[in-house]
Amino acid sequence: MNAKMYGDEQAVRKQKGSNKASRQRTVFLIVAIAPSLLGYLLFTLYPNLMSVYYSLLNWDGLTDAKFVGFDNYVSMVKDKFVWRALYHNLLYMIVVPALIVFISLLLAYLLNNKSYKENSIYKVIFFFTNVLSTVVVALLWSFIYDGSFGLLNGMLELFGMSMNDFYWLGDTRTAIWALVIPMVWGGVGLYVVIFINAISSIPKSLYEAAYLEGARPMSILFRITIPLIRGVIRVCVVFVILGSIKGFEIIMILTNGGPEGSTDVIGLYMFNLAFGKEYHNYGYASAIGMFLFVILVGAKLIIDKFYPEENVEY
Amino acid sequence: MAERRTFMDGVWRLLLLLWAISIIFPVIWILYQSLRTNAAFFQDIWALPKDIQWSNYSKAWNQYKIGQSLLNTLYYVGVSLVLGTFLTTLNAYALTRVQFRGRKLIWGLIMLSLFLPGINALIPQYILMKTMHLTNSLTGLIILDSFGENVFFLMLLGGFLSSLPKDLEESAFMDGASIFQTFWRIIVPLSTPGIVTVAIFKFLGLYNNFLGPFIYLGDPSKYTIGVNMYQANMKMQYTSDWVTMFAGVIIVMIPSIIFYVFFQRRIMEGATMGSMKG
Repeated sequence: MNAKMYGDEQAVRKQKGSNKASRQRTVFLIVAIAPSLLGYLLFTLYPNLMSVYYSLLNWDGLTDAKFVGFDNYVSMVKDKFVWRALYHNLLYMIVVPALIVFISLLLAYLLNNKSYKENSIYKVIFFFTNVLSTVVVALLWSFIYDGSFGLLNGMLELFGMSMNDFYWLGDTRTAIWALVIPMVWGGVGLYVVIFINAISSIPKSLYEAAYLEGARPMSILFRITIPLIRGVIRVCVVFVILGSIKGFEIIMILTNGGPEGSTDVIGLYMFNLAFGKEYHNYGYASAIGMFLFVILVGAKLIIDKFYPEENVEY
Repeated sequence: MAERRTFMDGVWRLLLLLWAISIIFPVIWILYQSLRTNAAFFQDIWALPKDIQWSNYSKAWNQYKIGQSLLNTLYYVGVSLVLGTFLTTLNAYALTRVQFRGRKLIWGLIMLSLFLPGINALIPQYILMKTMHLTNSLTGLIILDSFGENVFFLMLLGGFLSSLPKDLEESAFMDGASIFQTFWRIIVPLSTPGIVTVAIFKFLGLYNNFLGPFIYLGDPSKYTIGVNMYQANMKMQYTSDWVTMFAGVIIVMIPSIIFYVFFQRRIMEGATMGSMKG
């Protein structure tokens, strides 16, 4: 009897203990999950859903919103500025990723496979642009491109080419291309580092075998290095393409879409419609935002179709 | 393997050198121009400074109110960093190592945002912040950035946490530790490398964040350093005070440079880790 009582007591104590533990667990879970989850629902998911609704409104943010159905979408299709911006987007989503991937692959290959003594310093220098903010990168390039006192014209003059105060960002023909360079310049470093790590994970024996068989450096690059890091290249391509559709900060700071809309992109157009100085057109801007969403999803699907994911085995 | 040095090696080395120069040279150019006078700069953009004008720096500091905007940035970045990293760590632990009902559902719900580009949410987010009276406030920005989007870091830290051995918590519970104690005394110390990586990238993201502060902060006394320099540059177009602007840009770059020098290795490693997960 004594033993039974003792056992009961222990069971009760144990249950008390586990009750306490499970209560603590519940409290912990609430504390750990609730703030982030509520924040996520409120600040991320809810706005994303609301953007669909907003796109059906005629609303300037001040007067009452009017439900107009698909009117915004109809005007969008007729809006030639949207199509011009889309054209610029397409241009950037091809040119910028192509340049970034090509340059960073080349640099990474050189840094990894050639044992030049200065290589370790270069790795640090190349990545540096990725630590700088978009504002700083943009301001640096605005100083470079300036017509009268810019670095670029100054250098051209040293080589005997007088540009007569030509302002690279102020001309409709050059502005769109002039923006490509800071985008590439500011993006390459990250991908150099990514590619270096990918390349260095390729077993050395593969290279050695190729050397023994007398393969030339170029064929080693194209037959061994690039095929084996295809997966990494793919991730990078997706990253840069999607980033080039989304990112408009650098364009906003350097040209704000000008001159005469020659550098406008969809994200920036939407931004200026919603937050620009003259007027706010939240409904229409939201419709364009939805369009942007569709483009991003579309781009992802196209990449998946033409550049399917695959696993490489060594 | 001994490599032969060929003509092509010369070309490659030159290429690497040119890319490095394209990065360093503009920065150095701005640095030495920031020590000249406007008159001298307008006369010749190449000449080296004759007598060094440190006053450009004090002028930039006072004229652009960099002190104030650095304090704003420190408050915004500091609090968002600590709060955001703490919340992400708690969240990652609860969602990857604690079994409870609805865990998969919550995880899936959060992962849903990987498919949302977010850019189309800009307007509703702004309206929401306005309704909550959180616009034109650094605290509002902190709330948005610490509670809002953290999926990327959640995945990164979640991956790190799930690689820790399973019986860690179990033995702690056996010894009578509460889940709070286990989290604080065992999980946090063991996952410090992961937490530090997340914190470093949060720092870079926050310090370099332009669009958020630009949209939400209207009052110049609340500008973060990035927005401040952007506005200063807009004004410079009318005043043509180049050398002061150069000094300002250099001041803004200093924290990035110091940070990079200290965490260079970690930043580079983390960059690869993060992007491969995405």
